[in-house]
Amino acid sequence: MSGTIFRHELGMYRRSVITWSLSIAALILVFVSLFSSFAEDAALINEMMANFPPALLSAFGMNGMDLSTVLGYFSFLFLFVQLCLAIQAANYGLSLVSIEEREWTADFLLAKPVGRPRILTSKLIAALVALGITDVVVWVSSVVLLRLFKGEATYETSSLLLLLLSIVPFQLFFLAVGLVVSLLMKRVRSVTPYAMALGFGMYVLSAFGDLLGESVLEKITPFKHFDASYIIQHRAYDLPLVLVSIVVIVVSVVASYGLYVRRDIASAV
Amino acid sequence: MNIFLRELKANLKSLLIWGVIVVLFVVVGVSKFSAYADNPEMLAILDDLPPAMLAAFSLKAFNLTTISGFVGIMFGYYALLLSIAAAMWGSDIISKEERDKTVEFSLTLPVTRRRVVTAKALAALVNCVALLLITGGATAVSATAYQPDSSFYTFLALILVALFVLQLVFLAIGILLGCAMKQYRRAGSLAISLLLGTYFLSIISTLNPSLDFLKYLTPFRYFDAAMLLNQSRLDLTFVGLSLAIVVVSMAGAYLTYARRDLYI
Repeated sequence: MSGTIFRHELGMYRRSVITWSLSIAALILVFVSLFSSFAEDAALINEMMANFPPALLSAFGMNGMDLSTVLGYFSFLFLFVQLCLAIQAANYGLSLVSIEEREWTADFLLAKPVGRPRILTSKLIAALVALGITDVVVWVSSVVLLRLFKGEATYETSSLLLLLLSIVPFQLFFLAVGLVVSLLMKRVRSVTPYAMALGFGMYVLSAFGDLLGESVLEKITPFKHFDASYIIQHRAYDLPLVLVSIVVIVVSVVASYGLYVRRDIASAV
Repeated sequence: MNIFLRELKANLKSLLIWGVIVVLFVVVGVSKFSAYADNPEMLAILDDLPPAMLAAFSLKAFNLTTISGFVGIMFGYYALLLSIAAAMWGSDIISKEERDKTVEFSLTLPVTRRRVVTAKALAALVNCVALLLITGGATAVSATAYQPDSSFYTFLALILVALFVLQLVFLAIGILLGCAMKQYRRAGSLAISLLLGTYFLSIISTLNPSLDFLKYLTPFRYFDAAMLLNQSRLDLTFVGLSLAIVVVSMAGAYLTYARRDLYI
């Protein structure tokens, strides 16, 4: 790893990390502060839903969602936290090396006496640290805000920790896939549309899957691999699906190194 | 005119990609729906439920065993997809000149900045209309297998009008961001935060009745599919509000772009 590249990269992330972390913390605050007023309604809905036939509930993706408990409600809002994290990570992955070519700085960077694998490693570690800082903010704000707003209700700390830890591989998925996509393309003109498509696409795929029964297509989305209501209910990860994520991450990272080492770099002159 | 044609050509690939996404989405949705269409089990369940409960879950509006109910459910997803596309196109079509370092060239052409914005906005608008037609077409074609009646087509037409208004809102906001932001990267990230923010607001505003006033702030709640289906009309307050947003955004776009320093 090259310290200079790492420090420079980390500096570039400062503004973005602060914005994303604060927005996600604010999102959690708004949702959690509504918990106590919502829990009463949810308890009534639960009574009603107990009489519902299971087929109907699953048609509307309502099985296993108990919004009257702290963690049930938290797993509902966690989906939106995941959506933010997905777009952030996809953004970082897609722009990690493509930004150098877009801003015509790639030839400058590659002329330095540092090998391409080391450049990629330094950049990856900087992105990981940036995502890690966001994670810490998410963890701390989740735990603190839940403590503050849960009222009389109680929850299991171990399930919550399991859920919160799941965002690390979740982000890695989008970072790695974004990176390999950017390297597969000849030229990445703008990052945001692709990051939006990747993040929102996976989200819609999973939300849509809940609605009208499962299909194979949904197995590719990390929103399903790290499904919050599954983790809360079973107090464990859905291992086969988590493995899908991990395989995708490993393959993408390895492929990225291979592609970057032999990549044709566009230059201004 | 030249700028308009050039932009249409440059955006064709993006339009095709979005078109494929929408069509795929409709295909997956319809394949799921086929399990529910006229499914006697589901119908029996729905008949057994007390009416109050049906109303509570707006199942009355969305009887999933009919094609209209299915399209009503799809409306929310269509709105999300088309809005993202419109906001991205709007912010990108202006700011990409600075990103690709072509802005000095295009602004030395013998056309005013105002006309550049007009041509680009029209090109993006054509893209939006094309994507809307693809959405409507794919839905209509896949619906023919389920013998839709004339009320379905009225409903579909209303949905397309509502989607078009939504597209206009996000397109105009995107163009405003592209014109007003000094750095091209900020236009994109602001467009993302606006989309995410309004989407989350649309969810938060349904959590608590006292937060209902928030629906004025998020275009995703301007048009309710249940109302489109049951009353066959758009809420004119929100149509007016949408048009006001469009007019203000476009006026802001022209004003800011005319007197802006370029990021080179």
